[in-house]
Amino acid sequence: MEDRVKKVMSDVFNIDIKSINDGSSPDNIENWDSLKHMNLIIALEEELEIEFSDEEIGDSMNYALIVNILNSK
Amino acid sequence: MKYSEIIKLNNLLERQMNGGEYKISILSNIMVHQSKDICEYLLRSESLNAKVSMGEYDNIVQDSIKFQNVNAIVLFWESCNFIDGLQFKINLFSNYELENLIEKIKLEIDIVLSALKNTPLVIINRFSSLIFDQFNLSESNLKRLSDTLNAYLETNIGKNFRLFHLDGVISRLSIKSATDLRYYYSSKTLYSVDFYREYFKDIQHFFLAANGKAKKALIFDCDNTLWKGTIGEDGIDGIKIFQEIQYLALHLAKKGVIIGLCSKNNPEDVDNILENHPDMVLKNDDIVIKKVNWENKVLNLQSIAAGLNIGIDSMVFIDDSSFEIGLVKQKLPDITVFQVPVKEYEYGLKMHQIANLFFNLSETNEDRFKTQMYKDQAKRTKEKNKSLDIKDYLTSLGMVITVYSDNLNQASRISQLTQKTNQFNLTTKRYTESDIKGFILSDDKIVLSIELNDKYGPSGLTGLAILCKKTFKIDTLLLSCRVLGRDIEYKFIDIIVDTAKKNNFNVLEAEYIKTHKNFQVEDFYNKCGLDIINENNDSSMYALETKNFKYKNIKYIGVEDGR
Repeated sequence: MEDRVKKVMSDVFNIDIKSINDGSSPDNIENWDSLKHMNLIIALEEELEIEFSDEEIGDSMNYALIVNILNSK
Repeated sequence: MKYSEIIKLNNLLERQMNGGEYKISILSNIMVHQSKDICEYLLRSESLNAKVSMGEYDNIVQDSIKFQNVNAIVLFWESCNFIDGLQFKINLFSNYELENLIEKIKLEIDIVLSALKNTPLVIINRFSSLIFDQFNLSESNLKRLSDTLNAYLETNIGKNFRLFHLDGVISRLSIKSATDLRYYYSSKTLYSVDFYREYFKDIQHFFLAANGKAKKALIFDCDNTLWKGTIGEDGIDGIKIFQEIQYLALHLAKKGVIIGLCSKNNPEDVDNILENHPDMVLKNDDIVIKKVNWENKVLNLQSIAAGLNIGIDSMVFIDDSSFEIGLVKQKLPDITVFQVPVKEYEYGLKMHQIANLFFNLSETNEDRFKTQMYKDQAKRTKEKNKSLDIKDYLTSLGMVITVYSDNLNQASRISQLTQKTNQFNLTTKRYTESDIKGFILSDDKIVLSIELNDKYGPSGLTGLAILCKKTFKIDTLLLSCRVLGRDIEYKFIDIIVDTAKKNNFNVLEAEYIKTHKNFQVEDFYNKCGLDIINENNDSSMYALETKNFKYKNIKYIGVEDGR
C-alpha cells in the first residue's frame, strides 16, 4: 500500500518517487497546493478504491499522516 | 487509464512535444481543475501540442476578456451555481426574481460573446438541469431557466462558437459516475474524473478539426463489414446488407468524406453487389476508390493514399478480420483502424462514434461536391499511370487556373484552406475567417487565391498565397493536396513574381517553416530559383531579385483573371 501511495504522489506532483519520505508535505513539495491536494485525494481514492471523509481530506497533510489514515480504514 | 497515470504520461508527453503550442483556456463557475491534465493528455496523444490554462473560480465574465487571445476556450457555466444553492432555492423564486436572474445572466452572456467574438474556437456547454432534476415529476424552474438561456445562446452566438450537449456524456456514464456530489457540496467540484475522460474524448474532435487533423477517408472491407456474409460463398442472395452502417457512410460522403473499398474479393463480384443488390445504400457513384483484388491490404491502402494524395494518417480503415486489422496497424501505424464488433448490434453506435473522426468545423458548399472532386482526382491518377510521358498527360488535362485577388466572398473557404492544408504548405499559418477578411480589406496584404479547372471538371479553390507589401514577402503559400503533382505550384510562383513586379518591388522574400507534414516542400523555393539567405533547423529564409527570375512558362496550364 505504501508503494502505491508513493507512486500516486510522485505522479500527481511530478516528483521522483525516491524523494518521498514521512515528512513530505506542502512545506517541502512545491507543487502541493490546495488544488493539487484535491487531485491527490481523487487519485488516491481511485487507486486504492476507498473514500476519504472531509475530515480525513483535511488531515492528509503529509505522507506519514496519509499512510496512518489509510491504515486505520 | 487511472487519473494518476494520465498526469504522469501527460508530463512525459509535454517534454516530447514540438511545434507551436495550441492554447486552450477552460473558464468556469465551478471547480474543474482536474480537466487540465486529461484534456492535454488526450490532445497530446494525437500530436497536438495543447497547453491548457485555467480561469479563476466563478470569474467567467472577466476571464473571457483576459483569455480572449488564446486559440480555444471551453466554457463550463453551470446554472446550478449561478447563485450558491440555486438548485434548491430556485423553485421558491417569484416570477420577478426569476426574470431578474435571467436578465442578469443574459447580460453576462452578451459580454462573454462579445469578448470572445474573435477567438478562433469557443466551446460552450449547453446549460443543463439534468443532474438536479433527475427525480422531478414536473418541470422545474432550473429547467426553465436553462432552456431560456440555451435559446438565447443559440440565437446570439457567432460562427466560431459551438454549443455542446453535456447531457449526452452524463447519460452515457450515468449521473452517479459522472458527478461527485460530495465534492460539489464541499468545494464546488461537480464532475468526476470519469466525466472529464469521456467529455474530452468527445470534444477533442473540435480541436483536432481546428488544427487540420480531422480524418479524410473512410475505407471499408466488404464481406462482413458492409454486409453480413461472404459473397464468394454465399452469393448475392445469401448476404444481408448492413444498412445502418451504409446510411451513416453515405451521410459522411455527402459531407465530403472519401469513401473507399479495400477488400480481398473478385472485383466483378463486388461490382455485382454494388450495381444489383436491391438493399445496397452505397452505390458506385458514392465510392471514390476501390481496391478489390487479392493483393496485400497494406499495399492496397498505401496505393489508395497515393491515388488520393492524402496522408495515411488521414485514413480510417474498417475490417472484420482481426488478422487484417493487426497487420495493417503493424505496417501502417499512422492509420486509424476499427474492427467490426463481434456483437452485430454494437456496430451501429460504433459507426456513429467513428463518424466524429471526420468532424469538420465549417462545412461549406464545396464539401458536398468533394466526392466528385476526389473521384476526378482518382481518375486523373489512373490516367497518369497509363501514360508514360508526364508532360503529354498534363497537356491532355487542359488545365486552366483562375486567379482571384482580394476576393471577400472566398474568405470562409480561404480560412478553411489555411486550417486544413498540411502537406503543400510552406509556413502552415492557420487563419480564421476574420483574419482573412482583415487581410483582404487591408492595404498591406494581397490575398491571391486560385481555382483549377480541367477536362474532368472544377477542383474548386485550391491554392492560396498571402503576400505582405511592406517588404514583398510570401507570408503563406499553400496548395490543396487534390491538385498536387501537376506543376500548378510553378505556375503560381510565376504569378506571384508578376504581382511583385506590378507593385514595383525588386526583391521578393519568402520563408519555409518546417512541420512534420510539409517535408515535400522543403526545397520548393530552391527549385524555383530563390536564394537561401538564412537557415536553421526549423525554418529557412529566401530572397529573389525579381529581374533575375526565370519564368517556368509552363505551356500546359492556362491562366485567367478571375476578378
